Amino acid sequence: MKRALPFVIILLALGIAVGAAWYLKQNAISNSPSILNNSASEMPAGKSGAAAVIEPGAEPPHSIGEAGAPVTLEEFGDFECPPCAMLHPELKQIEHEYGQQVRMIFREFPLVPTHAHALAAARSAEAAGLQGKFWEMHDLLYQNQKLWHGAFDVRPIFEGYATQIGLDVERFKRDLGNEIVEGRIFLDGKRGHSLGVTGTPTVFLNGRELSFESLALDKLRGEIDAELAKAAK
Amino acid sequence: MVQNLPQTRISPNKKSGIIVYSLAAVLSLIGLFDALYLAVEHISGRSVRCTIVTGCDEVLSSPYATVAGIPLAFIGAIAYFACFSLAILAIFGYRLAGDLLTILVVLMFLVTLILLYLQAFVIGYFCQFCLVSAGVTIILTILVAVRYYTSLSMRS
Repeated sequence: MKRALPFVIILLALGIAVGAAWYLKQNAISNSPSILNNSASEMPAGKSGAAAVIEPGAEPPHSIGEAGAPVTLEEFGDFECPPCAMLHPELKQIEHEYGQQVRMIFREFPLVPTHAHALAAARSAEAAGLQGKFWEMHDLLYQNQKLWHGAFDVRPIFEGYATQIGLDVERFKRDLGNEIVEGRIFLDGKRGHSLGVTGTPTVFLNGRELSFESLALDKLRGEIDAELAKAAK
Repeated sequence: MVQNLPQTRISPNKKSGIIVYSLAAVLSLIGLFDALYLAVEHISGRSVRCTIVTGCDEVLSSPYATVAGIPLAFIGAIAYFACFSLAILAIFGYRLAGDLLTILVVLMFLVTLILLYLQAFVIGYFCQFCLVSAGVTIILTILVAVRYYTSLSMRS
């Protein structure tokens, strides 16, 4: 019996460690954005009959265009996701073509831990937003995604972008850990989860989720034109 | 009726070994749960807030927080569990376990020095949970060093 005692103690410790890890993991899940539902608005009951809850997301959202525009495109994006970077010039083209008829909203949805630098990129964009240059950083991050995606340490690269767009770099570095920055990413994530977003890019057109195939420029134009025609009636 | 039992005496060397390895086991458990907490938070993609120093997120979201895609905290948890197991085996007289524990702790100490250097001079931030782990490893190193030299002096 005495010979088995050390192994019993080791197994017991292993069991407690696994249990603690499981408890911490469950705790992390129960506190994740998809479960929390404070300050939320309700949407009509779904097929199951249960009322689903839509989170408002970070307020005010990062947007381009008038709040009363007939068409709103809300993108849930991850700066490290290659399809998001491919969609970026298309959305720029839409913005250029439709002007004030379309309002663009960007929501942070960093796919952690799939993309190692996604959270750092989201923080950089939000920190730039605190100095009024969210969209400038947003554009640089997408345009240069291939350059920083494989980098070991992205911080000097993002600090370089901050310099390039004329940010106060010291403030930018401090703001990366700012609670407002963290809060905005968290709230956008909550909204995404409440809308059923699981991947990026996910785009909603006037609250309706577009299929990935609909994000091709011509199809996207067709969707927008149809909404504009509906609004004109 | 009183039965005469043979009296067993624990040698001073063995006694000091039990004390050192017991302390090492307790410290390893502290390191294990600290590392487990960080590993779970890392895997969950959650933000880790520091309460004493600032920079937990900066350290944990840095590229140095993973090795080949595996969170360093998870590797740390495995190392601490190995330390705990070896310390327990050493308490129960497995001499090889004591020797392996010494080697493992020295390796962990070297890794700790590298991580402290990265936090201080490369990342520029400290993470309190990483500092707890560094503290645990440093105390473990002192313990095994004391044990190593006392057993050497007692043998000679």
